[in-house]
Amino acid sequence: MKKFFFIGLTFFVSRNIFAVETKSVTDSLVTAGGHASQLPNPIMVFPFIVLLLLIATGPIFYKHFWERNYHKISILLGLVTVSYYLGFLNDFKSVEHSITEYISFIALLTSLFIASGSILIKVNFKATPIANVLFLLFGAVISNLIGTTGASMLLIRPFIKMNRERMKPYLIIFFIFIVSNVGGALTPIGDPPLFLGFLRGVPFFWVIANVFPMWAIGILITLLIFFLFDISNKKTIDTEVEKGKRLIELKGSKNLIYFVIIIVSVFIDPKVMSWVPSLSPFPLGIREIIMFAVAFASFKSSDLEILKANEFDFEPIKEVAYLFIGIFLTMIPALQLIAFESRVYSHYLTQATFYWSTGALSSVLDNAPTYLNFLSAAMGKFGLDINLSAEVKHFVTVDEVYLRAISVGAVFFGAMTYIGNGPNFMVKSISERAGIEMPSFFTYIIKYSLPILLPIFTIIWFIFFRG
Amino acid sequence: MYTLDEVIKNKINGLNYGNRILLPFKAQLLKVIIESDIITDFSRSSKGIQLVEHDEFLDLYFLEYQGLSDSLSKFEAIKIVLVEKGKDIFDWNNHRKIALYLSEKHKVTIEETEADILFIE
Repeated sequence: MKKFFFIGLTFFVSRNIFAVETKSVTDSLVTAGGHASQLPNPIMVFPFIVLLLLIATGPIFYKHFWERNYHKISILLGLVTVSYYLGFLNDFKSVEHSITEYISFIALLTSLFIASGSILIKVNFKATPIANVLFLLFGAVISNLIGTTGASMLLIRPFIKMNRERMKPYLIIFFIFIVSNVGGALTPIGDPPLFLGFLRGVPFFWVIANVFPMWAIGILITLLIFFLFDISNKKTIDTEVEKGKRLIELKGSKNLIYFVIIIVSVFIDPKVMSWVPSLSPFPLGIREIIMFAVAFASFKSSDLEILKANEFDFEPIKEVAYLFIGIFLTMIPALQLIAFESRVYSHYLTQATFYWSTGALSSVLDNAPTYLNFLSAAMGKFGLDINLSAEVKHFVTVDEVYLRAISVGAVFFGAMTYIGNGPNFMVKSISERAGIEMPSFFTYIIKYSLPILLPIFTIIWFIFFRG
Repeated sequence: MYTLDEVIKNKINGLNYGNRILLPFKAQLLKVIIESDIITDFSRSSKGIQLVEHDEFLDLYFLEYQGLSDSLSKFEAIKIVLVEKGKDIFDWNNHRKIALYLSEKHKVTIEETEADILFIE
């Protein structure tokens, strides 16, 4: 299946090999960060494809080699693209634009990761099917406020703990479906692709106003299926409440203030608030400085007992930081070529195409760059450029059905595999560190996501994106 | 040779050199969790871990790791379900859960796992 997607993506992009030869110089210009630049050679998509293939296969087939070398590989592939843009295209702006966006992205994830690692939630109530459904619903809602990463990190431990006497892999899988993915579809803080869209110019409240019906149906059906699974777990009665203890105990609650600061700082952007000074040409702004400061302060003021109880480790966020610097750099040519090609083949692209294409690629690739690629394609269909914030805002107002399909596809389908979204792997890793034997990469797909999620996503397509 | 209770009560440390852990007691291991690796195969052909039992202590070699201190943060534990040597392995009450933390000067702190630590047997 993966091969099919990659071939499809390559084919989509590779048609440009012929197009470049027949088009005028003006036609082969693309804009990046508000400036015109020459269209890259399609072969430069290769480092991006190689990196995504390695991310998909490394942790499964050559785990220890990958763990030792992923950072070198990611940076090396990123440097190949940077060298091409600087050395052959003399295009510094495209690289600068991508680095700026990466810093915003990683600042948000890092601050949420560290702030949530410094909080410990202890629960002391029966893990009944109803309690679990309410817990997951709470997780789905809160993931829109603290991100799917923050919510997953904060809630997976109490969820495991309340189910410790009746633990089965399906509990973790549904947690990944609901809290780590589908739940976070309502705000740009919820999931990285939506945050990237916000950075490009999609208004903050556009998402909740447009995606809520799909979110509600997706969450409702998934919770209903989970409930059916959970009532067949006969060990329900074994988990008793410990007398004399509070139902929910929160340690490190002072760190909640850091969450508030992170959420507020998302809006501190010159594009959102005109009084906010731009620090250009530096590749970061006031918002990112605040987020990094919060991350530092949160870690430094953390209770060591909480960090120990959470088995806090920088490795997961380090992995995301290294992999995404490679992704952000290597995807520059893919983004520019897809935007260019979609203008040529715009009449083939429908909302259903965007929903399934974004979804299919988000399942096996990371959903953040996939979202950007298809937003770029959808805008290209109308002769608009994703790199121009004003054009993104215009696109949102006149052609919102495409962005709706892309947003839902990117966020929801991230749950289809362990590699579809950052928190999936973090949750899997925490569960395994707790001693839970999680299904393999392919078992997850065959036993859980294909039979459970695919029908749900088909229903959502049928209701909302058939056109 | 110490018993596990003596080790925990008197805070007797183990040792760590590279991928080797030395525990100052003898036991039958049932499950070892290191990072996201869950090891339950302790046979001679196991690629995950090799056990060597001495008169006074137990050696654990983590074969997939070069240096354990490079892989684990100071907040991360190696978690082990074990039964002390000589006790009935089939009696659930004899199954003990311990956490090993690597610290300075090759020391390994041995603790009975607290309620806060996630550990599903």
